[in-house]
Amino acid sequence: MELETLFSLASTLALSGWVALLATPLLPRLSQIYAGIIVPAALATLYAGLVLAFWSSGHGGFGSLAAVAELFATPQVLLAGWVHYLAFDLLVGAWQVRQARAEGIGFLVLLPCLALTFLFGPIGLLLFLGLRAANRLAPRQAAQTGVTP
Amino acid sequence: MTDLTLERAPLRSFALPQILRGEPAFAAVGLLMFWLMLPTGAAALLDRRQLLGVGVWDKPLKFQLALGIYLLTLALFANWLPAGFVAGRRYRVYAASVLVAIGLEMAWLMGAAALGVASHFNATAIGTLIYRSMGGLAIWLTSASLVYGVVIARRGRDFGNPALRDGIAVGLMLVLPLTLVTAGFMSAWGSHFVGGVASDASGLWLMGWARDGGDLRVAHFFGTHALHVVPVLALVSSAVLGKTRRWPVRLGAVLFVAFVAYTFVEAVSGRPFLGFIG
Repeated sequence: MELETLFSLASTLALSGWVALLATPLLPRLSQIYAGIIVPAALATLYAGLVLAFWSSGHGGFGSLAAVAELFATPQVLLAGWVHYLAFDLLVGAWQVRQARAEGIGFLVLLPCLALTFLFGPIGLLLFLGLRAANRLAPRQAAQTGVTP
Repeated sequence: MTDLTLERAPLRSFALPQILRGEPAFAAVGLLMFWLMLPTGAAALLDRRQLLGVGVWDKPLKFQLALGIYLLTLALFANWLPAGFVAGRRYRVYAASVLVAIGLEMAWLMGAAALGVASHFNATAIGTLIYRSMGGLAIWLTSASLVYGVVIARRGRDFGNPALRDGIAVGLMLVLPLTLVTAGFMSAWGSHFVGGVASDASGLWLMGWARDGGDLRVAHFFGTHALHVVPVLALVSSAVLGKTRRWPVRLGAVLFVAFVAYTFVEAVSGRPFLGFIG
């Protein structure tokens, strides 16, 4: 299969997972199963296939920045790297949704975290961790405004 | 509000079917072998590298399927083992070693495919060394069938059907000797092809058996499947001829061994199995 086709396939799949996370208030269980298990597992399968098939033909390694750059000079490995982002970002998004429900953080407050995790993974995580800390400092207010599971 | 239950909510606990709980560790690893077919299958779809004319991932896929079936079969037959046998300490150590052998075998098959080198009959120095240790591991993991067969034959449960119990025991006991003879000869011969072109590309559908010469894998395949064929023969004979008649099972087992021997001789003399299929 063409690499560009695989790229579109993976991106569409990940996007469908994020859409499922947006549907969390309506379908909490289903969206978790889809965005938290099925899509990450499918992306992980693609990643594993790419690494198993093309790792040995690539050059470079993890030892230095130059080695990592060399690694990503192989398009198949680059695609694997991108699928890695997609899978783990979505997994973090699904985890945020679960955690927010458990801790009584409102869905609307969570939305910016999800958006940032979708676009710039670690920044979204950072924001969510901050939000969580803030919520713990003021638990009662959060419980009142939060969506009850 | 408990964090824990919510955290675990999306993962419903997965329970093994009752029939496989005789040896849950074998059943679980057997299912794991099937699960491994997902990433391996993805690699097979993506990878264009070939060995002997077929994709490099065909072999790990075949072995995942075969080992998965083997482990699930043992888990099923574990129900015929005497009560409490599976819980025994020595047995547990042995069962764990069988699973370790399967894990090592799979790691090598996957690694060899990833590197694009032959896993069997690899002629390099390190390849030869690994290939030999693989043979040891293969014998070790196959020995589980013999252990099961002997224990079931001597003091297994029969659930009111001694003919079936016999069939299971005999089928299990036949696997190791038949495999040793067929696979051992194959190993000594240095290839599984006898005459013909050494390629899997033009082989029999799915199995890849040679069409233009002998193929020692035919006898290996049937010999290894004694643990399925003989119990099925016993199941049929116990339904038709009665559950206490043991001679049909024994006769069936003898005929089956004769059939395996025939396919073996056929391969050694360079003739394809079911040559008329083409």
